[in-house]
Amino acid sequence: METIIEIKELTKLYGNGRGIKDINLDIYKGDIFGFLGPNGAGKTTAMKIMTGLIRPERGDVKIFGYSVTEEYELAMEKVGCLIEIAEAYTYMSAFDNLKQLARYYPEVDYKRIDEVLELTGMIKYKHEKPKKFSLGMKQRLGLAAALLSRPKVVILDEPLNGLDVEGMIDIRRLIHHLAEQDQTTFFISSHLIHDVELTCNRIGVIYEGKMLNVESTPNILKNYATLENYFVSEVERNGRVPSSAR
Amino acid sequence: MAVFQAALVNEVEKLYKKKKALIAVLLSLAVIVIGQLAIVGVRSGFGLRGAGSVEFPMLVLAVVVNTILPLFTALVAIDSFSGEFSQNSMRITLTRPVSRFKIFCAKIMAIVLFILAMLLLLLILSMLVGVIFNTNSGTLHSFVMTIFSYLVSLLPMVVLALGIVLLANLIKSGISVFFVSILVFIVLKVLGLIFSQYSSLFMTTQLDWYNLFLINSFPVGKIVRQFLIMLGSGIMLFTAGFYLFDKKEF
Repeated sequence: METIIEIKELTKLYGNGRGIKDINLDIYKGDIFGFLGPNGAGKTTAMKIMTGLIRPERGDVKIFGYSVTEEYELAMEKVGCLIEIAEAYTYMSAFDNLKQLARYYPEVDYKRIDEVLELTGMIKYKHEKPKKFSLGMKQRLGLAAALLSRPKVVILDEPLNGLDVEGMIDIRRLIHHLAEQDQTTFFISSHLIHDVELTCNRIGVIYEGKMLNVESTPNILKNYATLENYFVSEVERNGRVPSSAR
Repeated sequence: MAVFQAALVNEVEKLYKKKKALIAVLLSLAVIVIGQLAIVGVRSGFGLRGAGSVEFPMLVLAVVVNTILPLFTALVAIDSFSGEFSQNSMRITLTRPVSRFKIFCAKIMAIVLFILAMLLLLLILSMLVGVIFNTNSGTLHSFVMTIFSYLVSLLPMVVLALGIVLLANLIKSGISVFFVSILVFIVLKVLGLIFSQYSSLFMTTQLDWYNLFLINSFPVGKIVRQFLIMLGSGIMLFTAGFYLFDKKEF
C-alpha cells in the first residue's frame, strides 16, 4: 500500500494545555480516513498543521513524501482542502472566487470551474456573490474549491457543516465516486458520527491530543453495533485511565 | 515564478474588485478639480497667476504626497493584511501550493503597483488640467523633471507602505493599525519639525525627497544618502513584516 500522508511525532501544545501530542499516523492511497474525536481533542489543530496554517512544535507531516514544513509548495501540489468554515471573497462571484484559485494550477481551465460547480450543485449560483449565500451554499462552494485542481488528496474538516440531508447524501456520493474512480485519498473530520460510518473506510480516534486507535470500518462494525458505540467505548476506556498512568 | 505571477494577478484582481481602489481614483480626481478651481479663483479674484501648466502638477504632488496618497496606501495595505486576517480569507490563499514568502511578496508588489498607478494617474490628469486651464509655462526640462518627481515619489511611499504592513502584522485589529499609523505619521512629522537636523531620518520627511532633484546644484551626496536610508529602512521593514507574517497562525 502506497503511503500518501505520513504523520510523525506531531506535537503542538497551546498555553491552555490543549493541542496534540506525539501523533503518528499513516494514510494510504484510496483511504477515506475518518478522524474522530470530541470537541477540543485536537482534530482541527492536526489538520491545520497538515495544511500549513500553523506550525508544529515537533514532528512533521509528509504528503507524497514532501514535508509540509520544509517543501510546502511540493507537498500541497496535489492537495485540496477545506478547513473549518469555507471561506470565500464576498466581493467576488462564485466563479471569480474559483478563478482566483485556478491560477495556481496550469491545468485548470474555465471548463473545470463549471464542472466543479456542477458537481457541488452550485452552477446556478455561478455569478452570485457569496455574501448572500447560506452556510450550506458556502460549504458547497468550499468543497468545489477543494476539488478544483483534481487533487489526489482531499483534507476536509467538518465538510458537512450546514448542509441539509440532501446535501450530505450528495457529498457522500461524491466522495465515494472520487475515491473509487480516481483513487483520491480523503482525510475527513466530522462530528456527524453516523455519516463518518457511512462514508469512511478507516477510522482514527483522537482524544485529549493523543491518537487512541486506528481501525478499518468493517473491523469496527464486526465488534460493535455502530461506530458510535466504538467511539464511546474508546473514549471511555481512555477516560478511565488515570492521567498519571497515561 | 509562475506561482508568484498567479499570486500577484490574484492580489491585483482583489484590489481592483474592491471599491477602495475606485474611491481612491475618484478622490484623486477631486483633489485635482478642487486644486484647479482654487487656482482659477485666485487668478480671477486676486489677479495673481497662481500656477502655470507645469507648476500645477508639482503643486498637486506636494499636496497628495502628504495627504491622500499615504491615506490610501494605508487603507490598501491594511485591507490586504488585517482585512484578510480578520475575515479568515487569508486561508483561501495559504492552503494553495504557494509559499508564504511568495504570498507576502505578491501582496507588497500589488500595493507598489497601486501606488505607482495612483501616481501616474495623478501625473497625467494634473498635466492635462494644467495644460488646458493654465498659461503655458513649460519647458522640456521642467516637463521631464515633473515626470521624474512623480516617479521618485514611489520609493518613500513604498517604505511607508512597508511600515504599515509591519504594523498590520503586529497589531490584530485593522482599525487600530489605521489609527496607530496616523499617530506615528503625525508624531514623525512633528519630530521632523522639532529636530530638523535629523529630519532626513524620518519616513515622513522622505516623502518630499523629490524636491532634492529640483535643486539647481543637484546635491548628489544628499540624494544618495537619502536613497540609502530609505533602502535600508525598507529592507528592515520588509524583513520584520515577513518574519511576523511567516510566524502567524491561521
